[in-house]
Amino acid sequence: MEEIRIENLTKSFDGFIAVNDVSLTIKSGELFSFLGPSGCGKTTLLRMIAGFEIPLSGKILLGKQDITQHPPYKRQVNTIFQNYSLFPHMTVYDNVAFALRIKKLPNTEIDSRVREMLQLVKMEDQSDKYPNTISGGQKQRVAIARALINRPQVLLLDEPLAALDLKLRQHMLIELMNIHDAVGITFIYVTHDQSEAMSISDRVAVMNHGSIIQSGPPDDIYERPASIFSAYFIGETNLVPCEVVSLEEDYVELKCDAGVGESFLIDSTFHFRPEIGQKLTLSLRPEKIAVSRTKPRTQDDINVVKGIIEDILYLGTHTQYIVKVGSLKFRVFSQHKRVYFDDKALDWEEPVWLFWHDTDSWLIDEDTPVGLEYSDVNVFERPFQMSRSVKRQHKSE
Amino acid sequence: MNNSIQSYKASVLEQRSINNKNLQSWLLSAPSLFWLTLFFSIPYFIVVIYSLLVPGIYEVKFQFSLQAFREVLSGVYFKPFFLSFRLALFTTVICILLGYPVAYLIARSSEKWKNFLLVLIIIPFWTNFIIRIFSWRIFLSSGGVLNDVLLKLGLINSPLEIIRTDLAVIIVMVYVYLPYMILPLYSVIEKIDFTLLDAAMDLGANERKAFFKVTLPLTSEGLFAGSILVFIPALGAYIIPQLMGNQNSLYIGQVITYKIKNIPRNWPMASALSIVMLILIAAILLTAYSLYIRKVSRKRYEIRQNI
Repeated sequence: MEEIRIENLTKSFDGFIAVNDVSLTIKSGELFSFLGPSGCGKTTLLRMIAGFEIPLSGKILLGKQDITQHPPYKRQVNTIFQNYSLFPHMTVYDNVAFALRIKKLPNTEIDSRVREMLQLVKMEDQSDKYPNTISGGQKQRVAIARALINRPQVLLLDEPLAALDLKLRQHMLIELMNIHDAVGITFIYVTHDQSEAMSISDRVAVMNHGSIIQSGPPDDIYERPASIFSAYFIGETNLVPCEVVSLEEDYVELKCDAGVGESFLIDSTFHFRPEIGQKLTLSLRPEKIAVSRTKPRTQDDINVVKGIIEDILYLGTHTQYIVKVGSLKFRVFSQHKRVYFDDKALDWEEPVWLFWHDTDSWLIDEDTPVGLEYSDVNVFERPFQMSRSVKRQHKSE
Repeated sequence: MNNSIQSYKASVLEQRSINNKNLQSWLLSAPSLFWLTLFFSIPYFIVVIYSLLVPGIYEVKFQFSLQAFREVLSGVYFKPFFLSFRLALFTTVICILLGYPVAYLIARSSEKWKNFLLVLIIIPFWTNFIIRIFSWRIFLSSGGVLNDVLLKLGLINSPLEIIRTDLAVIIVMVYVYLPYMILPLYSVIEKIDFTLLDAAMDLGANERKAFFKVTLPLTSEGLFAGSILVFIPALGAYIIPQLMGNQNSLYIGQVITYKIKNIPRNWPMASALSIVMLILIAAILLTAYSLYIRKVSRKRYEIRQNI
């Protein structure tokens, strides 16, 4: 089993740079994801590894072999396409057998390997059916079997679950992980869905504008985002623009200018050495903030700010509060354990205290960009409608 | 009690709606049935009657005879039949070889170019058929453009005698029937999802194998339709062999025409030849169809079963 090395890979289409000087190593047997918004270059990167696109410059190495210029049919790499691309004129069996028939293997061997593969994806009783007579999930399984039968070194998956509905997607995700464990080869997974990437991957590379912004294990990217983009793109977060006031041995004191003359101090752990007066961005995950109508006991390692509840969104598993703090709006996820804090539900326009442990926020070495300030981050298109209806209901009670 | 009355009512209503549907489908198909009866069945019936009569000088004698069929089956007309089949076969094969790449190219070009190229294919239909054939005569003749150019380039020493040969017939046949091959092919190639070719290459097929294992099978319907649209009319070709060929190799269409044109007219002979031709074409069509359909219909059947 060989690792994949990508060195300074660049690709452009008609002057548009789709992939910009990307270098990384994917270990053998790893389940690696490229995650990013559409147009970030993740699919182009995958197509270059598959051999459908030839890069402008840079190298792709599979083990010690340079495969940059090899045509797709000479690479030990197979792909699962976004819409499966099963051959409509062939049965499930013939689709899976395709690669082996191209290789002109003896029929008995083809048969045993096809059956083995169909068994792996639990499709052995559907082998005589044609692709347009089976369901989306089944097509997905056939595509997996077809791609794995050649025993590739690397399996590429291009948004493989995008065409499935939510329940099936969650089911197939687990199935994919099981298959990955069973065959033990490298999987390279491309998706724009961060929850998919986080739940399935050993490592994730967050991409934007053709470059890798950050790569690492999912929890590392989530807890320790290196840039505003990764903090913003992975999960949900509050981005708070702030300025360094003082530097201590093990923490930094920040002043947050909330716009209308108000400011508050917050502590944070840090992963780089900031300077006094430097403008930075604090990333604060909504689920790490606690909300209460009584002021918590003052402690050195707890940050406390005061705000007013502006919106309440009941989401079943948790409630989302939008809390106005000065001119900032904080998003707060609160589990339904309000018995710990309050015996009565929080209400609209109610003054509340927000507090969080200083190790739960994360400092990003970037000034908050103007466009992303408050409005972009703190206003949500979809839940907004819902909040209105909930609000009306609540008040009429 | 109530139940059985209701079910009786339901069955009466159901029957009524079935009757209505039957009436409706008859009414809807009436115009085409009328058209087919008047312009196809009746004329063909007349042809069949005429083939069983005795020839006169201008008309026929109303006297039963199997003489015409006996003559056809004796093999006197083997050569024109053979020539016609050969011509139809060559025309079809050449049309496939020339038409497939063209259709593929059009189908894969951008939307803007697609329409432009399709119009180019259709434009020749706007000019009279006979005029187009005559222009080919001028183009190919010994003092024509082609020979002029070849002579000037020094590629030949004396003009090529293309006109009034079987080659000239095939050239013009291909020219005339090519659009009938390109258009059905274009319509099936355009529908192919080209990521299927990526998938084939990904699974180890080189360009050639991907074409034969994926593209070709997926376009077989268009290939079949185009072949029929070219082969059948080419079989009965009359005007092109008449204008481009020579009198030593007569095609079946020409023979039938001469039987009626030359005096004494032989209506029974012409009719018998037409009928044999029809039977042959029907036999070829049915064989090709059943061979082709056997493959496709199994799939169709399964799809229907599973829906």
